[in-house]
Amino acid sequence: MTDTALKSEPADYVLPHHPVRDFLTGSVASIGITFILVLAVGLFWVGPKFVSFGNVSIMGTFLIVPLIVGAFAGFALLSGVVDLSIGSMVGFSSAIFALLLSMGWDPFSAAAVTLAFCLFFGAINAVAIVGFGAEPIAATLGMLVALRGITWVLLGTQGAIFAFNIELFNLVSTQVFGLPLFFLLAIGLTLLAALIVTRTRIGRHVQAVGGDDKAAARAGISVKRVRAGALLLSAFGAGLGGIVFAGQLGSAARATGLGLEFQVYAALMIGGYSILRGGVGNPIGGALGLLAVAGVSNILDLLAISPYYVNIIVGLLLLAAVLLDRLRGGDAFE
Amino acid sequence: MHTMKRAIAVMALATPAVLGFVGIAEAQDKFKLGMAVGGNTCCEWMKAQGDVARAIAEQNGWDYVELSNNNDPATALKNAQIFVQEGVDAVIQFNGQPSSNPAISAVMKQANIPIVTYDIADPGMYFVGIDNLGAGIAGGEALGKIIKEKWNCEPDLVISSEGAGAGIVNEWRTGGMRTGVKNICPDIPAEKYVSFEGSGDAAVALQPARDLLAANPNAVKMAVVGINDGGVLGLINAAEQLGRADEVIGWGQDGAFITGDNVNPHLVGSVFYFLEGYAVYAVRDVIKPVADGNTPPLKADAGDPASKVQPCPVTAEQAKSVPDMPERVAQLLAAPAGTTAYDLFCPNKG
Amino acid sequence: MSVNQALDTAPPAAPLKVRFGGLGTGLILAAVWIALIVATGLYRPDFFAQQTLLAVAFTMSIVGVLAIGQGIIGMSGGFIDLSQPAGLISASLVAVRLSEAGMPFPVVILGAILTGMLWGGFNALIIVFAKLNPVIVTLATNFIGLAALYLVFQLAQVPLNSDIYVFGRQSWLGLPAIFWPMLALVLIVGFLVPRTRYGRRMIAVGGNRAAAKARGISLRATRFATFIIAGGFVGFAAVLFAGTAGPFNPSSANTLQLNIIAGVILAGISLSGGRGNFWMLLLSIGFLSTIPTSLVFFGLSSDTQSIFQGIILIIAVSIDGYRALRRTP
Repeated sequence: MTDTALKSEPADYVLPHHPVRDFLTGSVASIGITFILVLAVGLFWVGPKFVSFGNVSIMGTFLIVPLIVGAFAGFALLSGVVDLSIGSMVGFSSAIFALLLSMGWDPFSAAAVTLAFCLFFGAINAVAIVGFGAEPIAATLGMLVALRGITWVLLGTQGAIFAFNIELFNLVSTQVFGLPLFFLLAIGLTLLAALIVTRTRIGRHVQAVGGDDKAAARAGISVKRVRAGALLLSAFGAGLGGIVFAGQLGSAARATGLGLEFQVYAALMIGGYSILRGGVGNPIGGALGLLAVAGVSNILDLLAISPYYVNIIVGLLLLAAVLLDRLRGGDAFE
Repeated sequence: MHTMKRAIAVMALATPAVLGFVGIAEAQDKFKLGMAVGGNTCCEWMKAQGDVARAIAEQNGWDYVELSNNNDPATALKNAQIFVQEGVDAVIQFNGQPSSNPAISAVMKQANIPIVTYDIADPGMYFVGIDNLGAGIAGGEALGKIIKEKWNCEPDLVISSEGAGAGIVNEWRTGGMRTGVKNICPDIPAEKYVSFEGSGDAAVALQPARDLLAANPNAVKMAVVGINDGGVLGLINAAEQLGRADEVIGWGQDGAFITGDNVNPHLVGSVFYFLEGYAVYAVRDVIKPVADGNTPPLKADAGDPASKVQPCPVTAEQAKSVPDMPERVAQLLAAPAGTTAYDLFCPNKG
Repeated sequence: MSVNQALDTAPPAAPLKVRFGGLGTGLILAAVWIALIVATGLYRPDFFAQQTLLAVAFTMSIVGVLAIGQGIIGMSGGFIDLSQPAGLISASLVAVRLSEAGMPFPVVILGAILTGMLWGGFNALIIVFAKLNPVIVTLATNFIGLAALYLVFQLAQVPLNSDIYVFGRQSWLGLPAIFWPMLALVLIVGFLVPRTRYGRRMIAVGGNRAAAKARGISLRATRFATFIIAGGFVGFAAVLFAGTAGPFNPSSANTLQLNIIAGVILAGISLSGGRGNFWMLLLSIGFLSTIPTSLVFFGLSSDTQSIFQGIILIIAVSIDGYRALRRTP
């Protein structure tokens, strides 16, 4: 009798808030454990150098663009529309930005115009997917291909635009507290995104739309507005990433952003997002996923293990992480 | 008894410290070479460049760290930073995505570490490599002579298989080859020169090559140049598939497909760079002097390089005496230090 | 009468809608393909030539066979197989090694197909037993596979004038020899899938897993079968690839991927399962393979090719989505 009564109660408020248990069962639990494992392995094999400011700085510099792109693209995933065009968008953005810089524009106007272009292409994604109901994977795959073509035409026969701006390079490489400023900003952006997702009404709407769009619509949320907004955010983030990339490398080239969508989504999936289902995942988990992958490849670099094994190990890590997530009660595929 | 335990404990605690100290001392007087390989799975020679550098470093008793640039400009920059952190004394790189070279130069300069770059020059790096434009022209002139002899300088098409991903190197090689052809046959009209993007990969070049042939249905006498042997071979294979290979002649660059038993009869010549053996030049002229304490002056210009690799243009006939790459690597490493692949294998040194 | 028999004798779910949907897709595809051909022909009359036909048919062949494999995965609800490049290169390497050893052509073909099936089985093993999503699994196995392949070989090609080499350069009845097996396979698969017990199970599993399970279909067995069969098509595509490609390396197949997925989507084969007609692949792959050839005739650089292909894909899926919206108010 008491048993059934207890069962019918929602379990949430029966249990008091408990940080440790939250960590073990919360949305970032699997990736949290993976991340700590990577950290432990690094400390054991590489030694304290692994977490030294210098080494974290190296990883951090390399992670700035994926972190920015991931934080924004996460909103699209969360709302149930995957945006495969982010890698090409990064390449396109860096090409436009480098082109404008090489024409003598000042960085701020160049950045503004670049972002406007990116939003325009993001809007096309939104119109196709939200307006016409196109399948997101297919439509954004088309955008991926089209933007790559546009980028290559922009880059011309040399396949690159050099726009090394020493002030911009110094700004992007600024260090504070021994870490790259932009890395800290990207982490800050991630935390902000996490706050928006978990603590605001907008965040709850995005999750609701991704989790069950029909229920969300019944609850009076505009599914179309949320998804269109998420796609625009995703394009904006990729545009921002491309601008930072061009500042870091001093150039744009055919290889810029090539395959970045796989790198980012693999890490986001390790971090608990799903590219096939909305409503799951959290920006902090996504960022930890990126950090874990970067940590593994850094361990291999520092141990001077043949670089040809890196991709094999990253692939195995991806499998292990999604398996861990599944065993913890994530979605099983049958 | 008690003191014994304490002694053991002290010894046990001290051992790692002593080992660590020895390790540091050893690390300090041992020269450490960093090598960043290109890391594009397109190419046999990119892996071989690392293998040769590793073997030479071991012969010299140096420490050696190898990283892969993954054919990605951002990774190349990250690798430069890791080299700085790992305290290498000198770096060799092949960066197939040279757009990040200015940033890498800035990082290395700040850390005061000399860096050698292969084939694609940057103002902050010792240049070791081929004169790509010169190699292009040499190959073009050799092909031009055949065009003159065979077709009286009246080909239907001169086709260029481009690989824009390689940036300026592509322009030098394919542009150089066109210039070389023009040097011998100046009167070929401009509209006879056509080009297509083949990515420097025989398999990838096939489809665009077939399309180009279809769009020029009446061309029979076709001369082919390209960024490398693979790109040229892509067009030759496409012509075979469309039944139009009778009069195609191709002249490649890099010599990747002109050794061994499987040389396509339409590939009549190529230019060997012996890419696998660049480390010999880099070590002889830059790294060894740095290790010995007399760092040479920075020579970053492809026209006035720190170490110049000789191109070796060969006809398919001459190439028969050249062993394939794995065999060349073995022979190169068995030769006395400083002997280059050019010395060992080029059939017509001149 | 068992549930199995009931399922197998019953017509496929919602046949009319499927047929009309398929017909519409086919008409639109055929119309734009013809429009493209006519436009190019008006601009350059020499477009209508044997050489053009050969060029387009060559391009169609390998992509077409791989698209069958991709379509099988999609239709059975497995979304996308991102590991086709690694599977194709592994099987091509086996084909090269067997021809180097002087094996007869049928043995070479068999070896390549078995390698492809083995690769598909390997993927299925992880997907079925770890219960992980195929997209993620194949993304990872492609990463792992290509990296491992580069450690094994950096460059390979079939021996000059071996049977497979000659096959890759022959023409039969005015079309490339490699085109005919592709055509036959698309026609056969398109005929068998809606008409056989296994084909219907595959569609049922893709359309509605829970319902299929309730009818007594083994999800595991079906999943294994689809991945192994799709792998077999990848293995056969490797025969065509190794025969035509000349020297290839582990990354030579990466550029094929996008075209294959685009072809499957344009053909109206649903990536999330249960819907599609394999015959449409002939139209979608034919259309996509004509675009680059046409652009060269128009004198446009090959970089512009991706711009057109991308825009066409966006428009096509938008139309498809719009029609679906109207069908289900």
